[in-house]
Order: sequence, then C-alpha cells, then structure tokens
Amino acid sequence: MPDREHGFPNTTTVAIAVILIALPVVLPSLTLASEIAVLATGALSCTLLLGSVGLLSFGQGLYFGLGAYIAAILLRDFEAGALVAVMASVVSGAAIAALTGLVIVRRQGVYFVILTLAFAQMGFFLALAFPDITGGENGFSNVPRASVAFGHASLASPLLLYAVLATLAFLAFLFVQRIIASPFGSVLRAIRANEGRSEALGYDVKRFKLAALTMAGAIAALGGAMNTLLLNFVPLSAIDFEASEKLIIASLIGGVGAPLGALIGAGFLAAMSDFLSPIWPRWSIVVAILLILTVLYLRDGLLGLRGALMRVFKRRPAHG
Amino acid sequence: MQPQVLVYGVLNGIGIGMIYFILSVGLTMIFGLMRFVNFAHGAFYMVAAYSAFAIAQWTGSVLPALVVGPLLAAAFALVSERLLLQRTYDLPHESQILITFALAILAQEAVIMVFGTLGKNVPVPQALGGIVFIGGFVYPAYRLFVVAVAAIMALAMWIAIEWTRFGAVVRAAAESSEMVNLLGIDSRKVFMAAFAFGGALAGLAGALAAPLRGVEPLMGREALAIAFVVVILGGLGSFSGALVAALLIGITQSVMSMIWPAGAHLMIYGVMTMILAFRPTGLMGRS
Repeated sequence: MPDREHGFPNTTTVAIAVILIALPVVLPSLTLASEIAVLATGALSCTLLLGSVGLLSFGQGLYFGLGAYIAAILLRDFEAGALVAVMASVVSGAAIAALTGLVIVRRQGVYFVILTLAFAQMGFFLALAFPDITGGENGFSNVPRASVAFGHASLASPLLLYAVLATLAFLAFLFVQRIIASPFGSVLRAIRANEGRSEALGYDVKRFKLAALTMAGAIAALGGAMNTLLLNFVPLSAIDFEASEKLIIASLIGGVGAPLGALIGAGFLAAMSDFLSPIWPRWSIVVAILLILTVLYLRDGLLGLRGALMRVFKRRPAHG
Repeated sequence: MQPQVLVYGVLNGIGIGMIYFILSVGLTMIFGLMRFVNFAHGAFYMVAAYSAFAIAQWTGSVLPALVVGPLLAAAFALVSERLLLQRTYDLPHESQILITFALAILAQEAVIMVFGTLGKNVPVPQALGGIVFIGGFVYPAYRLFVVAVAAIMALAMWIAIEWTRFGAVVRAAAESSEMVNLLGIDSRKVFMAAFAFGGALAGLAGALAAPLRGVEPLMGREALAIAFVVVILGGLGSFSGALVAALLIGITQSVMSMIWPAGAHLMIYGVMTMILAFRPTGLMGRS
C-alpha cells in the first residue's frame, strides 16, 4: 500500500523543488538563498537521524567541517573541479562517520548524544592542532573559484553557483526521501518507536544505526563542501561546536518529522540571522527562546504549526 | 623530558583533574538522581567564573568568589529548575537536553552582554601568589591551594554521600529512582536540593579555575564537554568513576601541554576514544 506520508516521489518532493527555485526570486540576495541551500543540506543530516531513527546528534558539525576542509584542499592544492571535490567530501564524510559510528552506536540514549558531542569537540581540536593543514584559527583561505568539472563552466556567476548548490541540495533531499520510503526506512522508524522490540524481531539495531549515521555523515559533508564552494574559504567555525548547534537547531525549528522541515528551518534561521544580526548582535537569544518554545509547545516544529493552530481553534468552541 | 618536569606536569594535572572532578560530580549526581541530562551544567561553571572576575575587579581579591561564586551558581540552578526545568521532567531525554542547551545559550549571551566577547584574566589572590618548596620542587602556592580545597571538597562530598540522609537518597535513586518515589520521599525537594548542590559544585570549580584559566564566554561549553568526557569514562551516576576519569584527563592534558601544547586538548579526546574502543562502557565497566 502506498504510504502517503513517506511516499516517494510525492507532493513534498515538488514542494522542495518549488521552494529551491523560488528562493532566489523571493529573497533580496542570491547569497542568502545560497546560504539557505547549504544550511538546509547540513540540517537534513540531523533531520534524517532524529526524525527517522530518533537519534539526537550534537556532532554533525564534525562531518560538515570535514567536508568543507576536504573540498577546500582538493580545490586549492589539487586544482580539482567542483564535482570531484564534492564527491570526495561525501565519501570521506561517510567514511569518518562510519568509523566514529563504530564507537558511538555501542552506547544508547543519553550516552549516544554525549558521544556525538565529544567527537565533534575532537574534530574541532584536531583542526586546531594541525594549522599547517587547516589554517587553524585563521581558516583555510585562497580557495579558487571552482569550475564544475574539468575546467568547464566556472562558478564565478552567483546565479550558476546557486543553481549548482540548489541542485546538490535537491539531490540530498531526494536521497533522504528515497531512504525514508524504502523498507530500510521503515526499519529505522521501528527502531525509533521501540528499540528493544525491533531487536527482539531480529533486526541488528546497531548495524541499522551505523548505516543511518554513515548516510547522515555523507549528507553533512556534502553541506560542508557546498559551504566551501560558496565562501571560497573554510573558517574554523565550520567545524566548531557552533556548527553542530546551527544544524541541529535549524532541523528542530523546521520540524524533524519530514525532510521538508530541514529546508523550512534552514530558511527561517538563515533569514532571521540575516535580518537580526546587523540590528542586534545577541540575536542568539531569540533563537534559544524559539528553541525552548519549539520543544515545549511545537513538537513538530514549523512543519507542525498548521496542525497545532487547527487544534487550538478546534478546541475553542468546546470551552465557549 | 626531564623527570622533574614530568613530576611538575603530573602535579598540575592533579590540580586540574580535581577541578574537573568537582565540575562533573554535580552533572553525574543530577543524572543519577533523576535521569536528567543537564546541558546547562557548563553555564553554572561559567557564571561563577565570571563572578570571580567581577569580584577580583571590585575587591582586589578573588577569594570571596570561592563563596559567592558557588552561591550564585546555586541560585541560578535553582531558579532555572523552578521556572523551566521542572516542566521537562516528564518529557523525553532529548527534550531535556535541548531545553538545557537553550538555557546554556541564554546564559552565554547574557554574559557577553555584560562582560563582552573578549576573554579576561583573573589575578591570583595576593596571599597565595607566592611559591612553595616541596622537597626541592618550586610550586605555585595557588595551585597547591586548589588541590587542597578540591581534596577537602571531595572528602566532604564522600561524607555527604555516604553518611547523610540526602546522600542515602542520592545513592538509592541512582539504583532505582522509581523505588525512591514509592518510598514516599518528596522528590520535588530532593530534586531542588540536587540542582542547588550540583550548581554550587560546578560554581566552585569555576571560581577555582578562573585565576588559572581566565574567563571567556565559550568557557561554559568547553567545561560541559570536559564534564561529559569525565562521565562517559567514569559512568554517569558513579562518583569514584568520575574521580578516576577526571584525574586521568587532567594529567593527560597537563603533561601533553608540555610535550605538544597545540594538541593538549585533542589528546583528552584521543584518550577517551582509545578507552572507549577497548572498553565501550568506560573505565568502571557498568553500563
């Protein structure tokens, strides 16, 4: 039986495509649209983990940063094309996520969350300890403007750059939708609903979690590589604790119930940052308060806003 | 490396490790008592450290902060427990983590609004500014003072946990929190006490560390990550585990900072990964 909510491709697929096409038209700057595509891809990795498997990761910034550095090194020191750099980042993100995942999936619940955070810290200090490779606190600079592949189609035009970033983001969303709709995705949901029972049914829960972590690592690394294409630079903040925070916050505020939430959350957060940060440098206070409100009252994030409002309005006549 | 230098590194490491222990005990106790993971624990540490900076500015000595800092951190912990955190006791762990994480952001931004984004130095109190000779070693008096205070606190905590009624409840709750509720203990009061006590300990760690490390707005995050490494290695809810893990991390960091300063922090996580690769449940082996 086709499952409407988890189907593929479905109306959400169309919605994601429409939003990605509309962003540069609606928003005042192409840079902001590009930032949203990057942030949405990174946040998608958190959405995949939390929404499908119920794994809260405070460490996706590690793979985001890794992807950013790998892409930067390939673009600058090996004069690779954007496509090669992006693919290499995705593969390394998956590989490192699988490696750290081997240690992380052995622990459950709160230990899992704490371990993701600890490994993200480790990645940050790794970048800091080897400034010859990463540029340390000054960041990795002088990354040339890439061409798509083999010297053709330079990404110097902001519109072409956005088109490439939006396409990559769209591919990532297609991938996650496909995963969620697959039998593999339904096992992940079973693990989320009841880990013990899934294990009793004979599923190797750890292996499924490891697979999900690997995929999420690849997606986060893709986001990092896209970030390098956009900035031509890797700041240390691409791999610090704040990078992980941004990804999880965007994914939560949007709603982790469906991939679309990552795009909505990223759009909301990036637009708010663009609008508020020049007015009030301490705008993170607003983000923190929003996060508290989301967790307490809006469990499905902005995606669930419509349902939540409907519930409020439906309840009213009963009181009156 | 000369053996003398190594001994100096280990001594420093014990001091840092003791601070890490005091920092982590509150986190592990609050988890053992109510299965609550507190991402705002580093904020308690930071608030007290900044109060140490402010007190040193006003009075010229950081010593009053050893009392004021913990009290302030305890007050902060109590207020957040009453206003916000108690609403999350029935929610899943993930929600508690996110709410306390948001609280930590709020505290960090508030500190930046008052003190600015730049780090600041906190002077060592004058009375303890000198050096002492220990069997041919020259050693800063303040670092010795830190070890002494921390050791006294560790002893006091051990007595409190082993011999008082509150300690008995904490130990019982670590074994089975449902059973403690069934026994008719007012869990509300116990939770408040645990938050105040845990906050005060984190505050003491922050006030002690301020003259050694200085203060900066991101210190709360770093402290939280360190406390997490301690509880992952020592086991959430285990006091002896926390002591062993904290000393191990402190000594690793201190010795490494003499061999390879840029990688001193990295090695903390390197040691953590190595231990977890061979003992997934940490040093004490209970999951």
